[in-house]
Amino acid sequence: MQNRWHRFLEKLNDYRGVIAFVAVFVLGIIFSPRALNTGLPIFLSWQTQLAILYEYSEYGLLATGMTLVILTGGIDLSVGSVLGLSAVLFSLLTIGYGWGVAPAIGAVLLTGLACGLMNGSLIARFKMQPFVATLAMMTAARGAAKLIAGGIKVQPGGQPWYVMQEGTPSFFLWMTSALPGIGVQPSTLIFLVCILVMAALVRYTAYGRWLYAIGGNEEAARLSGIRVGAVKVLTYALCSMFAAMAGVLNACRQDLGDTEAGMTYELDAIAAVVIGGTSLMGGRGGMMFTLIGVLIMAYINKILSLNAVELAPRMVIQGIIITIAVLIQQKRGRSS
Amino acid sequence: MKRIALALAFAVLVVCAGCGKKQQQAGQVTQTPGKKKWTIGMSQCNLGEPWRVQMNKDIEEAAKQHADEIEVIFKDAQNKTEVQQAQVREFIQMGVDLIIISPKEARPLTKPVAEAYQKGIPVIVLDRKVEGDQYTCFIGADNVKIGREAGKYLVKLLGGKGKVVELKGLMTSTPGQERHQGFMEGIAGSQIEIIFDADCQWLEPIAQREMQSALARFPQIDAVYAHNDPSAHGAYLAARQEGKGREKTIKFIGIDALPHEGVRYVKEGILTATFEYPTGGKEAIETALKILKGEQVPKNITLGTRIYTRENVEQGGEPL
Repeated sequence: MQNRWHRFLEKLNDYRGVIAFVAVFVLGIIFSPRALNTGLPIFLSWQTQLAILYEYSEYGLLATGMTLVILTGGIDLSVGSVLGLSAVLFSLLTIGYGWGVAPAIGAVLLTGLACGLMNGSLIARFKMQPFVATLAMMTAARGAAKLIAGGIKVQPGGQPWYVMQEGTPSFFLWMTSALPGIGVQPSTLIFLVCILVMAALVRYTAYGRWLYAIGGNEEAARLSGIRVGAVKVLTYALCSMFAAMAGVLNACRQDLGDTEAGMTYELDAIAAVVIGGTSLMGGRGGMMFTLIGVLIMAYINKILSLNAVELAPRMVIQGIIITIAVLIQQKRGRSS
Repeated sequence: MKRIALALAFAVLVVCAGCGKKQQQAGQVTQTPGKKKWTIGMSQCNLGEPWRVQMNKDIEEAAKQHADEIEVIFKDAQNKTEVQQAQVREFIQMGVDLIIISPKEARPLTKPVAEAYQKGIPVIVLDRKVEGDQYTCFIGADNVKIGREAGKYLVKLLGGKGKVVELKGLMTSTPGQERHQGFMEGIAGSQIEIIFDADCQWLEPIAQREMQSALARFPQIDAVYAHNDPSAHGAYLAARQEGKGREKTIKFIGIDALPHEGVRYVKEGILTATFEYPTGGKEAIETALKILKGEQVPKNITLGTRIYTRENVEQGGEPL
C-alpha cells in the first residue's frame, strides 16, 4: 500500500510542470475579465489561446534551441542578438534589395548557421566558456545588425535606395494572419512543428542520447566514444538557426526589421527552459518540458495583460513565479 | 602554435581597424586650411533610438548648409553617462568653439557642462536639461503641450465622446509622464473615456501584445492614443492581425513624426495623425551660428509641435 502511494507520488513528480501549467490555466479562468459584448470569459476563447501561442512563437523557437544547448550543460546568450540580426537582414534583403522570400530566408538561415558554428567552434575547439563565447557573439551580432541597417529600422521608404517603397512583401502579412479554416498563424505553426520535431529528435535518436550523455558527464561521454566536439558544434549551430528563424518571424510580426529586436529575449528563453524543468547543469530535462515552460510564461503574461496590471507589480509577479519554479526544480534535483 | 598565430592575426586586425578610425577622426579635425572655420562638438547620449539618429542627421544637414563656416564633430556616448562626461572634457581639451550636448542625465552632466561654460565655450543643451544655469542655451520641446494637442485633436476627431486605449511610454521616464498628463488635460471636459491603458515602455512588440488584450476585451474601441509612433504602429498591426477589419475603424494616433516612421505611416493610412516631437537639430545649428557671431540668444527655446494628417502630410504638416 505504502509502496503504491510512493510510486504515485513519484509519478506525480514527473508531471510537476504539467501540474503547474494546469494551475496557471485555472488562475487564468478565475481572474479573466469578461468580454463586453458576449459576457463570456475572454481567457477561455479559442482566439485567446491562439493569440498566446502566436505571441510567444519567437520565444518558443529561441527556447527550443536553448534547450538543446542547456542539455549539454552549456548556455547561449547570443540568441536574442542573432534574432535581431536576422530580422534586420531578412528585411534588408527583401525590402531593401528586393530579394525573393525564399533566397532571403536561405541567406538568413545561413547567417544563423555561421553564428552558431562560430559559437560552437570557440567552445568546442578553443575550449572557451560557453558564457563568454556567446556573450561575445551577443555583442557582435547586435553590432552587425545596427551596422547593416545603418542605425534605423528597416522598413519600406526607410532609405531612398530601398527597392520596396510601398509596403512590405505579402509574405509578411501571410505569416502573421490566420490560415483559413484552422485560424492558426504560420508563425505559430513553425514554432509548434519545430519544437515537436526536436522533441522527437531528442527522444528517439542517437543525437538526443549524446546530448544527455555530454550534459551528464562530458568526460564519460568522450571515453564512451562520442565525438563531443562535433556534437557541441552541431548543437550551437542548430540553436542559432532557430534564433535566425525567430528573426524572420519577428520581422514579419513587426512588419519591419528592428535593430533592437530580441533584446533580452535570451533571458526569457533561458527562463522558459528552466521553468519547464530542464536543469541548467545539463543532462536532465527535455523538449516537452520546455514547451510547458514557454506555455506557463506565455499564459501568465496574457493573464496579467488582459487584466491591465501595471508594469511594476507585473514585473514583481513574474519574478516571484520564476523563483518558485526554480525552487521546485532544485528540490527535484536533490531528491533524485 | 596555430592558436597563438590566430590570436596574433586577430590582434593585428583589431589594432589596424582602430588605427583607421583614429586617422579618420583626426583628419576631420585638422581640416581647417587657412580660413577661419568654427568647430562644433556634438555629444549625443546614444544612437540606439531612431529619434536620436534623426537628430544627428538634422544637425548634419543644417551644418552642411553652412559648410564654409562651421564643422561638426559627432560623438556617441552609447547611453553611458561617464562616457558622455569624458566627451565634454575631450571637447574642452580640443578647444572646440561651441559644444552641443544632448545629455543622458541631468545631474551627472551638470558639472562638465558648467566647466566648459566657465572656460568660455558656449554650450547648447538639446532635448534633456542639465541643472542650474551654467549653460548658454536650452532647446527642447514641450511634451505636455504635445500631449495636450493630441488630446484636443482626439476630442475634435471623435466629436467629443468615445472609448480610447492609451498605450503609454515608459512611465518612469518624464516624457511618458508628460505625454500622459498633457493628454488628460487635452481631453478634460469631454466624454472621452480611457477604457484600457498599459505601459509599453516605448516598444512596439509590447504595444502589439497589450493591444491584443484590449481588442479581446472591448468590442468597441474608437481610437488608440500611443505615446510614440512605433507603439501606434504595433497597435495597428494587432488590430490587423485580429482579422476582423477593425484596423479600418479604429483611429490610431502617435507621437514623434520621424520622416521614415510616423510621417510615413500617416501617408500609408496606418495612422490618422502623428504629432511631431522636434529634434531641434536644425534650430541648434542656427542658434550656434548666432552665438558664434556674437548675437544674443534667449536662454530657453521651446520648440513647437506639428501635426501630420492625411490631408496635410504632403505639404509637410501643419504647425500647432
